[in-house]
Amino acid sequence: MLLQFDYVRPKSIAETIGLLVQHGSSSAIKAGGTDLIVWMKKHLIKPEIVIDITGIAELSGVFFYPHKGLRIGANATINQVLANREVKRSFPAIYDACLSHSDRLIRNKATFVGNVTGGVPSADLVPSLCCYDAVVHIAGPDGERDVPILEFITGPRRTVLSKEELVTHIYVPYIEAQAAGCYVKLARRNALDLAQASVACVVVDKQNGKDFRISCGAVAPKPVRALEAEKYLKGTKTLDETAIRNAADKVAESVNPITDVRATREYRLDMIRELTIKALTTCIEGLRGGRMS
Amino acid sequence: MSEIKVNFILNGRATTYVGEPRTTLLRAFRAHGVTSVKRGCEEGECGTCTVLVDGVPMKSCMMLLPEVEGKSVITSEGLVGPNGELHPIQKAFIEEGAIQCGFCTPGMIMSVYALLNENPDPSDEDIKEALSGNLCRCTGYVSIIRAVKKAAAMMRE
Repeated sequence: MLLQFDYVRPKSIAETIGLLVQHGSSSAIKAGGTDLIVWMKKHLIKPEIVIDITGIAELSGVFFYPHKGLRIGANATINQVLANREVKRSFPAIYDACLSHSDRLIRNKATFVGNVTGGVPSADLVPSLCCYDAVVHIAGPDGERDVPILEFITGPRRTVLSKEELVTHIYVPYIEAQAAGCYVKLARRNALDLAQASVACVVVDKQNGKDFRISCGAVAPKPVRALEAEKYLKGTKTLDETAIRNAADKVAESVNPITDVRATREYRLDMIRELTIKALTTCIEGLRGGRMS
Repeated sequence: MSEIKVNFILNGRATTYVGEPRTTLLRAFRAHGVTSVKRGCEEGECGTCTVLVDGVPMKSCMMLLPEVEGKSVITSEGLVGPNGELHPIQKAFIEEGAIQCGFCTPGMIMSVYALLNENPDPSDEDIKEALSGNLCRCTGYVSIIRAVKKAAAMMRE
């Protein structure tokens, strides 16, 4: 059973911030609630007031703006993101990540933004957002600010959000070139499981060569891009099996996994190599005529 | 932390429940005798508490009672006809023996109902994906898939 709390449903962002300023750390924001309710049930989070933001119209929706990008409101569920055709077309790594998250029923309730604000290292949607250089938009008593996704999460379940702030939406810039992307996840079962390790990869085919973006999940305390591997791939003329293998080794060097109930550190490092090979191969094949934006 | 009144439509009827905000929709249903909605894991994993909220299948243990204010909710009871006749999905589950202990069945049926509304002729893969959030610990999945196909055929007629 959940502990007692007061429940409020503000109608605007301004009203929400007013409530956050008033109640601070004794409050909790609820959008989908699929994470919050579980934690509250275990009495690990004990808010005195739950601020339900699902009635705020300005936080809803998934909108694509041609040549600009994708705006995902704080109330947009993961299935609403999947339902936007432009996500599959232009942001395939986000599409894959959404499909790998939980199961169809939970995705009807869980919000896309909630997966990011939770700040857990295994969050499925984060590595793909890192590859697309997504930006988190925050509103607070002192106004609005934008934080790049790589800076937003600062550690396990830690973000730059203060107790008086609210994430209003996440913005994913459009890639004005041919690009392929994917998210590959290793878990014990296909649905309803947390990642043991995961890799998101986006390859952009520019006139002066290819750009590689690789990010991993569940293998570091906060989101990282495998910059060394990206640099190595950009400087490689022939993307053969050896080059891909070398890149995979460099990706494994850029992460720092722990041993926990889901997998050991060693297994995660091995799997990061395998997942990278799979992701890079998928993207390169995609650029040759498969999936691309 | 007082009790609140929540007005919603339950299986086509205007309904008012009074409860604390911390009451989950699942717990509210069970307290009011809507017992097709089963209490399994209560952590959003097993899916045996699945109901349709404004046509969308959701796990009612992950929903607070005040969240259904003004919404329309359908449970497995709501699929039964006025003279007690079972819905084709419910019939197909019985005929195909897609019930062992029966605990997952009402939740399964609601997920199937949502699936067949969207896709009247689902493939095995479509069915598996749609039921990925409903666990059957008797592991009787083969007969469940058979029942979904039978129900789909009955509903297409």
